[in-house]
Amino acid sequence: MDAIKRYCRSPAAVAGLILLLIVIAMAISASWLYPHDPLALAGRPLIWPFSNPRFPLGTDNSGRDIAAQVFYGARISLLIGGVATAIAIAIGVLVGAFAGYYGGPIDTILMRITEAFQTLPNFLLLLVLVAVFGSTLTTVTIAVGVVSWPATARLTRAEFLSLRNREFVQAGRTLGMRDIQLILGEILPNALPPVIVYASVVMAVAILLESALAFLRLSDPNVASWGNLIGLGRDVLRVQWYVSAIPGVAILATVLAVSLVGQGLNDALNPRLKGR
Amino acid sequence: MRILSLAGRRLAASIPTLILILIGVFLLLQFAPGDTVDAMMAQMGGGDAATARELRHFYGLDLSIPAQLGNYLWRLVRLDLGFSSIYGKPVAVVILERLPPTILLMTASLSFAFFFGLLFGVIAARAVNRWPDTLISTLGLIFYATPSFWFGLMAIVVFSIYLQWLPAGGFEDIGTIQTGIWRIIDIARHLVLPALTLGLIFLAIYLRIMRASMLEVLNLDYVRTARAKGLDETRIITRHVLRNALLPMVTLIGLQAGTMLGGSVVVESVFSLPGLGRLAYESVVQRDLNTLLGIVFVSALLVISVNFIVDLVYARLDPRISVEG
Amino acid sequence: MDSRWLNGCPDTTFGDVHMDLTRLEISRRAALLTSAAIAANVVNPMRAFAQETPRKGGVFTVHYGAEQRQLNPSLQASTGVYIIGGKIQENLVDLDAEGKPVGVLAESWEASPDGKTITFRLRKGITWHDGKPFTSADVEFTAMNMWKKFLNYGSTLQLFLTAVDTPDAQTAIFRYERPMPLNLLLRALPDLGYVSPKHLYESGDVRQNPANLAPVGTGPFKFVKYERGQYVIADRNPDYWRSNAPYLDRIVWRVITDRAAAAAQMEAGELDYSPFSGLTISDMARLAKDKRFVVTTKGNEGNARTNTIEFNFRRKELSDIRVRRAIAHAINVPFFIDNFLGDFAKLGTGPIPSTSTDFYPGPDTPQYPYDKAKAVALLDEAGYKPGAGGTRFSLRLLPAPWGEDISLWSTFVQQSLSEVGIPIEIVRNDGGGFLKQVYDDHAFDLATGWHQYRNDPAISTTVWYRSGQPKGAPWTNQWGWEDPKVDKTIDDAATEIDPVKRKALYAEFVKEVNTELPVWMPIEQIFVTVINAKARNHSNTPRWGSTSWYDLWLSA
Repeated sequence: MDAIKRYCRSPAAVAGLILLLIVIAMAISASWLYPHDPLALAGRPLIWPFSNPRFPLGTDNSGRDIAAQVFYGARISLLIGGVATAIAIAIGVLVGAFAGYYGGPIDTILMRITEAFQTLPNFLLLLVLVAVFGSTLTTVTIAVGVVSWPATARLTRAEFLSLRNREFVQAGRTLGMRDIQLILGEILPNALPPVIVYASVVMAVAILLESALAFLRLSDPNVASWGNLIGLGRDVLRVQWYVSAIPGVAILATVLAVSLVGQGLNDALNPRLKGR
Repeated sequence: MRILSLAGRRLAASIPTLILILIGVFLLLQFAPGDTVDAMMAQMGGGDAATARELRHFYGLDLSIPAQLGNYLWRLVRLDLGFSSIYGKPVAVVILERLPPTILLMTASLSFAFFFGLLFGVIAARAVNRWPDTLISTLGLIFYATPSFWFGLMAIVVFSIYLQWLPAGGFEDIGTIQTGIWRIIDIARHLVLPALTLGLIFLAIYLRIMRASMLEVLNLDYVRTARAKGLDETRIITRHVLRNALLPMVTLIGLQAGTMLGGSVVVESVFSLPGLGRLAYESVVQRDLNTLLGIVFVSALLVISVNFIVDLVYARLDPRISVEG
Repeated sequence: MDSRWLNGCPDTTFGDVHMDLTRLEISRRAALLTSAAIAANVVNPMRAFAQETPRKGGVFTVHYGAEQRQLNPSLQASTGVYIIGGKIQENLVDLDAEGKPVGVLAESWEASPDGKTITFRLRKGITWHDGKPFTSADVEFTAMNMWKKFLNYGSTLQLFLTAVDTPDAQTAIFRYERPMPLNLLLRALPDLGYVSPKHLYESGDVRQNPANLAPVGTGPFKFVKYERGQYVIADRNPDYWRSNAPYLDRIVWRVITDRAAAAAQMEAGELDYSPFSGLTISDMARLAKDKRFVVTTKGNEGNARTNTIEFNFRRKELSDIRVRRAIAHAINVPFFIDNFLGDFAKLGTGPIPSTSTDFYPGPDTPQYPYDKAKAVALLDEAGYKPGAGGTRFSLRLLPAPWGEDISLWSTFVQQSLSEVGIPIEIVRNDGGGFLKQVYDDHAFDLATGWHQYRNDPAISTTVWYRSGQPKGAPWTNQWGWEDPKVDKTIDDAATEIDPVKRKALYAEFVKEVNTELPVWMPIEQIFVTVINAKARNHSNTPRWGSTSWYDLWLSA
């Protein structure tokens, strides 16, 4: 397809895709490479990376293998990132599309609801949700999704506001197309590019929100997540900075990959870039 | 005149939202395990049942939930934000004390992020898919992906301990209290690292959105027409393209007010800044309902006003859009 | 310093350590020796500097890690308040270098033979910071309206206090309904005996009084300013009743909630002192090797604490004593201490720590050394054989959210118990949530936190075991367990006047509770002080961080 060819033309996008595939591969191969519980005591705490062949990335302050946690952590981050983003995008696009297209009282009501969620700083709402519902993986994921949808809604609405009076929409109306067809079939594909780019932003934010929660020791301690490792490494940041640095690099790489892919998709799907 | 009436209408329309949020957070926090007396006991490192009972009565926590909610709303109508159980002072006073550092921090971060995001976004879009674009975009992404608390702590290690250029934390120097211009410089020095830490993420966001939106606009028909007419490229950018490309950017400012307050929780904690972010975190952990609701109320007002201004600017930028919707 | 702990030996595998207990014992001894050497180095810093004359002047900057709601120690008994309030207000009695009671606002005291009357003679010529004279009326007011009514642990201590008579301005007579052992009261007063000025508190609710945030006292430092969230400042009191004191000009307490940031500020020279283990274990170990700082547990012996494992008897499995003992045997505590807590902790032997010279019954009480085979045997014997996947039964562990050591300990417990077939789910909570879930809702299987020992078992230790505690009272017996024999021992000891008999009763108490094991207290810790090496006369009493610092000075 044209889009795929366009995607592959950008080296950055291809690099991002490869990086993302590596992360996914890590997640899949985790239980095969490290069959034991990654949170079990594996060795002496705070062994430096590359100093002991058994622990290529060293151990953390609880004596657990960092490399194992990095591999298993890929699962958690992709899970949190993916599910939370899906929740956020789904709610946000629907709300924004209907608000932007119809305007009037529907817009007002939907925007009041969006505003309600937005006026509360998302991290604060996250703190309250975690304080109320606990710090398990499920609650953290849902909470992260729930605090992330307003931005998408607003962005979608802005695009719809801009596009709904465009010529091609008016043409469609003249042809007798129904609202739903117009919204989903005509406007949405054109409104999506910034949303897709922003989806990668949402995913990145979701992963970072979880790591911030872990930094404040509010995330699920029973799973091997990168955020938990960063939080743990906080206590030894000055000397054994690698305990926080390594998962930080992992997060960085994943977020980078996701963003590059999102950007590549944007450029590929944007028909007006044809020829550049 | 029209603007004033629009503002009034917008504010009136927001009041139900405001009430809903406050009631929502109030009820939500009722489900949180433990109340402010439990948190106080935790802090004191000891306590007996008699003390606990006394304290609960003192804070009015032995009333029923509807009664407590009713009390709160009735006080709110009279613009009384209540008494903070952590600080023993009126909430309004507590918030006003903590407002300046947060406002300063947020303004500095936002300005830094917006300005450089705009600049680099335009450069990247104009050099799309060539090396300046790749470099800027990649750097932007790296800044974005770096957890702020890690960056902040490393910045302290590098700039405060090894290089000793900047202070390691706090809002101003308390050994020697400065006045006038020196005080401003002193506070500015203390805010450099926090503003950089907080702003870095938003810089990356603005960069990417600006670039994406510029790319979209650069290929629209009217731009091609302008080029065909032989207009100078820079003029095209500034007079035609920028106006439309700025639309998503402007939208984002409205979104960032709330996010920044959230991000400031972590940054204020790392740099020991006495701001609203940390106050909010404290009030959640200590279940100080009045303070938390007060902060929610204040930040709600802030976000509403910012969004309103944004919509006005938006309408000016794109004449096809009318504010009334 | 045990370098093994810091860097890890590249050629030693985990298997070696776990199996070779003898090597562990030797190296632990070595660790203790080196730490003893370090301790000896700072056991008496004054010895090395005895010749120096105190230098007047200077500003002392203190790390204030957790802001409290108020600063008055008459209303709140915690180190977080004493670190500031204890320099401004003073107590009747404090502890001297040997941990024996020494008079501060009180000059002398005597008890009646029946133990129901204790008379304090107060010092003459002391004035409050606002100039008004300090009299017995202040003591009467504070005791009856603050200690008895609102002070945590104070209300329990003074439960049977009926009145404080003040026949003259220098005499305060405490009258009790039941006998009050003099040494219990004297040991409790350093923490629970701070006096507030009656003339500022007599009208209105004492808890709402603005003086709680701008304290007025008799101490060596006068309150100047409190910028919430930033700092507190107190200046030298020129009219202080001790001659030639204090030496410092000013004390500044800086609010820094993040431990890593506090360490950074110490290294940048912006902080002089971080009290009560305010930095991370790793930073403390690192600064211990920096000549600019002194890192020691000296001066904190009065603030010993033990890490706990609290069992909820409402879980059928945990009500079986064999299961509880098995859990204790399954955890390699010495390994944990050596590898995770470094020099700052030692093996505990029960609820009364070894720092308590008056009450420590010695190590010959029932103990539960690491023995995985025995743990497995006990679990099998109790009827909980491993099922599918090797799991016998699973438990929820609630760790308290304060302290890095608690977090490391709960992870280690999780790892250790999973090896004997008991998977553990760690449930995180913030402070208020933790207290509610454990001590009120009883929604836990295992809980772990700190037990703070306050110089006398009757103050805050026996409540962990005495039955009849009201639901919701934190750090008390909420396990769903009671033993009338233990109750009797506790009650007898609380009213026994003869110190020798009292000590014997508490030894009996420790024996009983270590046998039954409703709560296991296997680790003993003392808070760690990190202080500028230029400080002099620091750490010279067992509760130095909380004392008034009238003799503290900074060398050039």
